[in-house]
Amino acid sequence: MKSDELRVKSDEWEIGGKTLKSRMLIGSALYPSPANMEEAIKESEAEIVTVALRRQSAGEGGGDNFWNIIKELNINVLPNTAGCHSAKEAITIAQMAREVFETNWIKLEVIGDQYNLQPDPYETLKAAEVLIQEGFEVFPYTTDDLVVAKRLADVGCKILMPWGSPIGSGQGLMNPSNLKAIRKQFPELKLIIDAGIGKPSDAVEAMQLGYDGVLLNSAIALAKDPVKMAQAFKYAIIAGRLGYEAGTMQKREFASPSTPTVGTPFWHQFA
Amino acid sequence: MIKISVNGEIKELQEGLNVSQMIEALNYKTKGFAVAINTTFVPIAKYEETIIKDGDTIDILAPVQGG
Repeated sequence: MKSDELRVKSDEWEIGGKTLKSRMLIGSALYPSPANMEEAIKESEAEIVTVALRRQSAGEGGGDNFWNIIKELNINVLPNTAGCHSAKEAITIAQMAREVFETNWIKLEVIGDQYNLQPDPYETLKAAEVLIQEGFEVFPYTTDDLVVAKRLADVGCKILMPWGSPIGSGQGLMNPSNLKAIRKQFPELKLIIDAGIGKPSDAVEAMQLGYDGVLLNSAIALAKDPVKMAQAFKYAIIAGRLGYEAGTMQKREFASPSTPTVGTPFWHQFA
Repeated sequence: MIKISVNGEIKELQEGLNVSQMIEALNYKTKGFAVAINTTFVPIAKYEETIIKDGDTIDILAPVQGG
């Protein structure tokens, strides 16, 4: 079955003022080649791709080739502030990104710990507040801490992106109960699992929790076959969303036969 | 001449140049980048009026892959 046939059964959704069909946000880094990246992104059918800004070399077309490929994909670009360690740095990168990429979307990422790349909640919050005042649509990368989520919502974030586990770790959802609590507390916010997704079943789990989307990069780019993995994640995210919308059955403590017991053959009642 | 840091490298530059003139003098491409001076963003609209000063730290950033 083609994904289009599956996808029409899943709802369209809105994020940052755009109406989208795909619930995947895909990264553009770490692929074996630019051609492979392009093919994987196309195969994923993602409508949002993350990009970054780095120092340009003099005398070259620094970044032109990459940026031309991304532009030709004709999908939404979500620049990040990766590598920033303070609100000030992140705000500056966001302002620069708005000019270069011509979008007010920003994936706000302020790292507080170099070992596990855990976001710094205090600096993230400070930056989010300023950027929202400056008219940005902030996609903040955060932990699964409920209070941090609340503070980000208080300063005006309409989107939250809690981690599943540390960036690039592929450990999946470390703490589903915390993620579930955030979903329950903020039904009106758009929630995206960002970071830590390793395999398609992790994406299914995230979507079944009622999250609105999944952002991933390493899980696809570092797969043996990134193009095939992009396809796997496309279906996983659709399956997880459909499962959430359909409503899963309640777990039972004991077995319960699914085949009718009435009329069971070879059954005899003994006195 | 003044000494400035551009993308982490020390460069010498003629005194009194604005941002557009600096970009040209240092042979950077002419579009598709953004500039920060001393970690403060300088929008395109301010290139002409912003004069580079001795000791400035300049970042010229362009699109790359990101997650």
